[in-house]
Amino acid sequence: MNAIGQAISRADGRLKVTGAARYTADIPVTGAVHAAIVSSTIANGRTVSIDTKAAEKAPGVLAVFTHRNMPRMNPTPKPWSHLHPHGQGYLPLQDDEIHYAGQPIALIVGETLDQATYAGTLIMVAYGEKKPVVFGQQTVNEAVDPPQFLWPVNSSVGDARKGIAAGAVKIEQTYTTPDRHHNQMEPHATTAVWDADGTLTLYETTQHIYGAKALVAIVLGLPPEKINVVSHFLGGGFGGKAYVWPHTLLAAVAAKEIKRPVRIQLTRAQMYSMVGHQPATIQTVSLGADRDGKLTGIHHQSISPTPVFDSYIEYAAMATRSLWAASGGISTTHKVVHVNRNTPTAMRSPHEALGHVALESAMDELAYATGVDPVVLRLRNDTEIDPHSGRPFSTRAMRQCLTEGAARFGWAKRTPEPRSMRDGRYLIGQGVAAAIYTHWRWPAKARVTLNRDGSAIVESGMHEIGGGTYTVMQQVAADALGLPAEKVTVRLGDTRLPMSIPSIGSATMANAGASVMLAAKAARDKAIALALTGRDAPFSGAAVQDVQVGDGTLTLARRNQNITYAELLARNGLSELAADAAYDPVPEHEGPKAIFSFGAVFAEVRVDPEFGTVRLNRFVGAYDAGLIINPKTARSQAIGGITWGVGQALLEQSETDPATGRFINRNYSGYLVPTNADIPELDVLFAGEFDEEASPLGAKGLGELTAVSVAPAIVNAVYHATGKRIRDLPVTVEKLL
Amino acid sequence: MHPFAFSSTDDPAKAIAAHADDPELAFIAGGTDLLGLIKDRAAQPARLLDINRLADMARIEASPDGALRIGAMARMSDVAANADVRRRVPVIAEALVFAASGQLRNMASIGGNIMQRTRCAYFRDEDGLPCNKRRPGSGCSALHGVNRNHAIFGWSDNCVATNASDVAVAFAALDANVIVRGRSGERSIPFTEFHRLPADTPERDNVLDRGDLIVAIEVPARAEARGSHYLKVRDRQSYEFALVSAAAAVTVEGGRIRSARLALGGVAHKPWRLAAAETALRRAALDDADALRSAIAASFSDARPLAHNAFKVELAQRVALRALQIAGARA
Repeated sequence: MNAIGQAISRADGRLKVTGAARYTADIPVTGAVHAAIVSSTIANGRTVSIDTKAAEKAPGVLAVFTHRNMPRMNPTPKPWSHLHPHGQGYLPLQDDEIHYAGQPIALIVGETLDQATYAGTLIMVAYGEKKPVVFGQQTVNEAVDPPQFLWPVNSSVGDARKGIAAGAVKIEQTYTTPDRHHNQMEPHATTAVWDADGTLTLYETTQHIYGAKALVAIVLGLPPEKINVVSHFLGGGFGGKAYVWPHTLLAAVAAKEIKRPVRIQLTRAQMYSMVGHQPATIQTVSLGADRDGKLTGIHHQSISPTPVFDSYIEYAAMATRSLWAASGGISTTHKVVHVNRNTPTAMRSPHEALGHVALESAMDELAYATGVDPVVLRLRNDTEIDPHSGRPFSTRAMRQCLTEGAARFGWAKRTPEPRSMRDGRYLIGQGVAAAIYTHWRWPAKARVTLNRDGSAIVESGMHEIGGGTYTVMQQVAADALGLPAEKVTVRLGDTRLPMSIPSIGSATMANAGASVMLAAKAARDKAIALALTGRDAPFSGAAVQDVQVGDGTLTLARRNQNITYAELLARNGLSELAADAAYDPVPEHEGPKAIFSFGAVFAEVRVDPEFGTVRLNRFVGAYDAGLIINPKTARSQAIGGITWGVGQALLEQSETDPATGRFINRNYSGYLVPTNADIPELDVLFAGEFDEEASPLGAKGLGELTAVSVAPAIVNAVYHATGKRIRDLPVTVEKLL
Repeated sequence: MHPFAFSSTDDPAKAIAAHADDPELAFIAGGTDLLGLIKDRAAQPARLLDINRLADMARIEASPDGALRIGAMARMSDVAANADVRRRVPVIAEALVFAASGQLRNMASIGGNIMQRTRCAYFRDEDGLPCNKRRPGSGCSALHGVNRNHAIFGWSDNCVATNASDVAVAFAALDANVIVRGRSGERSIPFTEFHRLPADTPERDNVLDRGDLIVAIEVPARAEARGSHYLKVRDRQSYEFALVSAAAAVTVEGGRIRSARLALGGVAHKPWRLAAAETALRRAALDDADALRSAIAASFSDARPLAHNAFKVELAQRVALRALQIAGARA
């Protein structure tokens, strides 16, 4: 039986629930000492003086670093690249300038974490303070065109303005989303260890071990081969641990200076300032359509904040380039406002989950303006050709997602009139939104080794960020080798392994998975070759294509002969048989087809009309992510993504103090994420099929997709329930009273 | 974390003397609030005195007449699960089960609960923003800052924080008493006088002095206790402080309210009794929502919302109304 397609439980599940899994800061390092970061309480200006005398004398303190004695670092390279990804371009403790609240201004190394932290409170700082620039509606007219860093900043196909003007029905609205923070349960942590030969090992909370290696090599001026980065388990990444943030660099330099391993783990509050966040957006969508709801033009503009020293773009309008057809044209623009804050970064689901809030809310407004059912409206604007690139989609099961999702949800029973559905005192609302998500094709390598005991090992520098990499790679290798999945062990998260991809953009299954499959096939083929031509070859003279593998055994049915992998290795005097493989696809944008994942999601909310409280009653998510490798881990991804979207819709916002420019709700008490009580039973179905353009495994990206369009589906449901269109997230009670 | 010395005692007299003599000593019971405050540097006691071993302070006693005496060291979860409390005074049990999380309720003591400090984000900021409660004289950041969760009643320019306790709202509505033992013996403080308004000294949450140890909360037998309800409105369904909450307790005669007790949470520096509303509610027909609504409005003429919490003025009245209706249906 094939392992692929089976709902196999997590290989590392027991380790995780028993606490046996070692996360980065759990990995013991002999002689490690601890560092605490002191951060700026102002958002703009400079430090005039930093008095470290009392801290230096505090118990257990080994060293105190400020910009005055921290060794100089090499600047981060431009342009920004996934291959050497800095989280922020402004390097820590290099000068006296302050550009954001919470910026590191001193580092204390102590024998214990408590000693270092306490000593940090003894540091006296005098500031030269300037009024901070804070993002908001009032700063929008200072928006500028940023330089491109990932995708084109602007796009135009056809003539969107003309197309909109030609429409019989027009919608033009502005939608805003707040700053949000990743709030991973596991805080960012680094343990930096220098060996006697000058090799640096970083135990790092990262989704991108090779990126950390490359960036740290540049900033520290080290040959990359002198750096190893290790990350075996991640307690949540969500994009926030994809790039290198200041604490990693501080740990590496401090460890070198004091000649001891140094561990830094950020405090919960520091995770709101010293690492990235999802920036607020102010988005305007203009739609033109004929009376039947067929789009004649779309324009989507997004403005978001970025620091004074970096130009991070939240590509919120990007998804609009490919989601729906519009006969006249589609145009998108992105602008940024430079303010006093740290650099924003990718946060689940970067770009798409924000843009869909605006576009899919506007589509609902269009449905009501035209009187067309919201599901039907989307079916009418479905397209088999990517409007942006003009290429056909490889696969696009949008129609199935919409129709099968609607059937499962019971959409036909919905009465379209707002406030027309009730349950006792509660108003009931039902909303739909569709989703599209970028697919990446990236090169990845893997090694698969058959052992003499008949087991196999997969080795590849992949990551386990919670999605189930240890499990799904077992399945992929098992099928290619003809082994039961439990006979396969997966090793990942170490730059000394064959180079794989960052765990970002939902790219692991399709790309890292492909490399594992190729390596496993290569190992299998080596074994078959041994059976044909090796010592005492049992299948001597037979043809390769006549050999079958299954359950750890090679079979030549025609001659009724078989031999196990274990026997084969023993016969050839081999302790192991290893094969390396590289998956080297052309990048998606250079391929003949446009590749995306798709979804349609349906939300039912219950609104207390007197209190304005919104609760999710039920939710159906229908997804096209190609072939599903493991329905259980895939469903778990969807549960996480939908829950993430519920937070975006109803709860999450990082609040900035207008006077000081500081994020103020910097903990789980002030920043609300959903609890179990907020999440009803979630119904997930998969409508995709094998997509050979996406991956040799047929899989497209899933994890990020599932967090897309949850919020607009809920917002649309709230409109249906109450007749109030909320265009500013999250939907909190005061907006409905 | 701020370094501190830790010791414990089973002798109340020693605990009281130690606290009276040492301004840098703090009692610790469940520690669910205090440890967070220390981590956020909003409290920096040099010494912690563990009072968990004080004898006979965790008992929950019910008198035949319906009065309750809840030992200060009783855990929130034990009080919430107590059969007498649930049957006789549902408003207390409800206020407790809607507070915090199961784990926190298992640790947190009743005495500690009413001592918990405000959730104002400025007060609790790890790096310390201007806050008169935290550093007297430094100013109130919330007054012109982010103040959605802040007070609409009784605030001063020095502090706009709210009290976060749920069960305190129920205790205030029932005119409970806080039994305090100090150096000069035991005294009883009416619950509505236990917490203070911020005025010029927002650093003081309540009227306790050094050397005061809360030993119990006494809830007198109240005719309204059985017909009582605690209603909490919050941004999420669980594990969250109230935006606005209401404790209502009533007696009803022939469909009309005979007597009503009403207090709000989330609106002031202390549980906020609606005295004018209670008077106006007498003789109001329970099924006349308009009459109830206008009676409740009598207590809102002095509401003073801030920039971000004007919605609380309307929301609080609606929450009070529904709490009253549910309590009335039980009476």
